[in-house]
Amino acid sequence: MDLPSHVDPKTFEIVRSCFAEALGLDDDEVEYDSKVIDDLGAESLDLLDIVYRLERAFDIRIPRGGIEKVTREGLEKGDVYEVNGILTELALEKLSAAMPEVPREEFRPGLKVSEVPFLFRVATFYGLVVSLLEGGEQG
Amino acid sequence: MSAVPDSRFVFLVHPFTGAVRRAAALRTARPRLGLGLRPQPTIDDARPICRLVLETPDRLVEGVVVTVPMLPEQLLDDQEAALAMMRAAVARAGGAVDVVGLGSLLAVVAGRGSALQQHLWQPVTTGAAATAWAAAENAKAAAKGLGVWPHGSMAVLGHRGTVGTAVVELLQADGATRLHVAARDGQARRARAQGLVPFDDEAAAAAGCLVVVGASTTGGILHPRALTRGAVLVDVAIPRTLSGPARRGTRVLAGEAVLPPRTYRQGRWGSVYHLLAGYGPAHLFACLVEPMIMAAEGRTQPFAQGRRVSSQALRDIRRLAPAWGFEPVLANHWRSVTPGRLRAHHHP
Repeated sequence: MDLPSHVDPKTFEIVRSCFAEALGLDDDEVEYDSKVIDDLGAESLDLLDIVYRLERAFDIRIPRGGIEKVTREGLEKGDVYEVNGILTELALEKLSAAMPEVPREEFRPGLKVSEVPFLFRVATFYGLVVSLLEGGEQG
Repeated sequence: MSAVPDSRFVFLVHPFTGAVRRAAALRTARPRLGLGLRPQPTIDDARPICRLVLETPDRLVEGVVVTVPMLPEQLLDDQEAALAMMRAAVARAGGAVDVVGLGSLLAVVAGRGSALQQHLWQPVTTGAAATAWAAAENAKAAAKGLGVWPHGSMAVLGHRGTVGTAVVELLQADGATRLHVAARDGQARRARAQGLVPFDDEAAAAAGCLVVVGASTTGGILHPRALTRGAVLVDVAIPRTLSGPARRGTRVLAGEAVLPPRTYRQGRWGSVYHLLAGYGPAHLFACLVEPMIMAAEGRTQPFAQGRRVSSQALRDIRRLAPAWGFEPVLANHWRSVTPGRLRAHHHP
């Protein structure tokens, strides 16, 4: 499997094995751009287990709702993130910027907050791990 | 009959609300926690709350229920702290311990029993096998009661999760031929290869099914209107499957309820625990069955740990649980519901 040039293979291998262990898959079933729910069959509790294994493997703390939390915190005062569970255009822009590994067209108007996890790739978690390591967010 | 147990298990539980945590803390002589004077629990607060007994003419099994006084949000926020608390809880059971069972969210956080297992020599079991067994038996009973077993359409929501996967395996092994699931794209292809009938979403999967098994780990995934009139939702553990109250003409029954054998005794504080845990006086939740049977059998292999429940573990629990007198039962809160009543309810 070819990884994008900015991806560190050693770090990715650890991320990949965390996914494989949490989901009961072989390592080669987990690819960088695999969709965590639709491709790998993860459920919500699996995400919890994946986060736990990543935290242990990298000695980091991943805040609950990490990506959504970061996105919400990036909004200016008065900006609105969602209306009746549907993401605003501004929220879609912020999420797209926070998740560059997800094709822009998937951040479609009408996307619900509850549907955001369906966009997650393995790459999303790789990026989260790297940003926490670079930010010094050790456990 | 000797008063010294032949085997002993520990069952770790946690409170779901602050009120239940305070009640447990008062029971365990932790007044500052119990009176709300100290909001954060420490490992010293993990204490036994009651004793359960399974007693046959030639075997005495004792169980100690130990509370891990962390609320759900705390368990989810800090899984390492949850693990530390679970280790402390096992140590505080007192005496020899042969088996460790995990209840509710404790069966899920910190690697679904696997991280705790690394610190213990006793086998750690999460209850997923017994929960799947009870749910499948209850779903089958409901389907028979409604006249749709085995060839009528039944839905299994959450079919890819630990319990859902096992429920599908058990129902198919017993002859169910038309199981509806929610699966898109690549997951739909996999579902067809397993002999399942995939639909784009949960509502579509449930449409027209008189029996729906709710085994998803995501709550509120099904609108009440998505249940067809006359349908029974066999809801398995938390979180609840419906996003609102069930509408008239449909029923939601607990899928993981089990009747204990007459050899089971719970004592006064055990009765209080039953009440606070939501069991009611006559039922157990299936997850408690696993450590009890393991201790009774002298079994050292967990029935369930990690994400997958093995086919062998499912065969074993199906054989052993009834042999020890445990019987799945459809439950409406504290009342048992017989399949015959289901038919009368829906076909007056």
